[in-house]
This record gives sequence, C-alpha cells and structure tokens, in this order.
Amino acid sequence: MPKGIGKIKIRVPRKIKKGDVIPVKALITHPMETGFRKDKKTKKRIPAYYINDVNVYYGDELISRMEWTIAVSANPFMTFYLKADKAAPLKIVWKDIKGGKYEKTIQINPQ
Amino acid sequence: MKEGNAISRRKFMIMTGLACAAVVSSSSIGSLLKPAVAEGAKKPEKENINDVLKKFFGDRKIEMSHVKLKTPIIAENGAVVPVTIISDLPMEKDNYVKKIYIFVDENYHPFTASAELSPANGKAALALRIKMRKTSNVRAILETNTGKLYGAQKAVKVTIGGCGG
Repeated sequence: MPKGIGKIKIRVPRKIKKGDVIPVKALITHPMETGFRKDKKTKKRIPAYYINDVNVYYGDELISRMEWTIAVSANPFMTFYLKADKAAPLKIVWKDIKGGKYEKTIQINPQ
Repeated sequence: MKEGNAISRRKFMIMTGLACAAVVSSSSIGSLLKPAVAEGAKKPEKENINDVLKKFFGDRKIEMSHVKLKTPIIAENGAVVPVTIISDLPMEKDNYVKKIYIFVDENYHPFTASAELSPANGKAALALRIKMRKTSNVRAILETNTGKLYGAQKAVKVTIGGCGG
C-alpha cells in the first residue's frame, strides 16, 4: 500500500437512540488521480488511480453500494444516513481500480 | 574601413535574417508538433449530457421535485465542490429511493457518482465532494424502487478548474 493512502475516519453521533436516523461521515485518504494530470517535472501523464466501489454493511446486510468515478474529489469525504435500529457493527469497504481494499468497522450501539 | 563596416553590416543582416528564419521555423515546428502531442496524450472526448442521461434513463421522464440539491453558488476551487442531496421521499420497506445519481454537465464524463440505497438508510440523502472542470450545471437524479425519477439541478460557477491539465 502506498504511503498515506487508505487512512480512514468514520464519525457518528456520540449518543444514539434506538430507531434514530443518524448521519455517518466517512473520510478516506486517496489521491483519486483522474489520468488527465501531468507530472510537472517529468511531463509525463499520471495514470488514473481512483476508488470506484464503496460498500456499506450494517450487521450482515449490505445497505448501500456506491459507484464513484474520477470526478470525486481527492481524499473523498461522504455523508450518508443510517437507521440505527439494532446494535451491530457498521463496516465500510472502499475498493480502488488497482485492487486496493480499505475497510473500517465501528460499532453502533443505540440505547 | 568603410568596406569593413559594410561587410559587418551585411553579415549582421544575414545573421539576423537567419535568426528570424530559425525562430519562425522553430515556432512553426512547435505549432505543428503541438496537436500531435495532444493527440498522442489522448485528450478525452467530452460526452454530451443529454446522451449520457439517455443512456442511463432512456426516455423516462424526470420530475423536478422532491429533491433538494445544495451546492455553493461560486466554487473557488473546482477540485473540491461540496454537494449535498436531500430528499423528502419516503424510505419505507416497499417504497424507497433505490439510487442517487450525480452528474456534472461540463465534465468530460458527466457521470460523477451513484449510490444505491436501501430502507435501512432511513433517509434519502447523500453528501459528497466532487471535482468540476469548469462552470457547469450539477444534476442530482433519484430513482425509486418503483422506477420513478426525481431530479434537481443547480448552476455552480467555478473559478479554478479541478481536473488538472
């Protein structure tokens, strides 16, 4: 894994009531190269390198699947919502076009 | 002395003439080479937004309601444009938003991202930071599980493009 790629932060509200719809914010470090950019020193094109697939699991269930292209910003930051109706792990898996796979799991504990 | 001067002047004229010719020829070579280089580097072809929408949704009608698209009016940096999509459509078991699409009209590839949702999301909403090549319309289109399409669009002014080049 290249340095500085795949660092993940996931943030959810501190207090969650059962049945609440909570925002989940997730950030991953990734260059998201478009393939159009040139290296200023070598004048060579930087090959495309981006995340194209994101999967969100809540418990065993796949609840969301995202498809990204080069037009998602570097270090992608996303917010989506989740209905917290059970105590279960929330797992997000990012995959890039070079076969890199980055994942993080957090526990959702509604009260 | 006079003759010597004349010769030097003649020489000077020849020299400058040559120099000029060199500059002209080099610049013409440069201009000849430039498109070749650009072609070799595969300048991406811009896809038309209408063709793309047709490819994704066919002739289905997109209703411009129930979707709220939040974007900055002016984005200083096209590489990072925050986009938020919120919808008041229900997310119930048999009636939910199946997919959210984001398009940017003026990007080479207008299709930016999509997200498949399920009732477990509880709310049809998504926020993402996207890249924009230049000033353009941003479109958000939502597809429900029954096949209905809802959309919203907004113009965003970009002062610095975000696709490199």
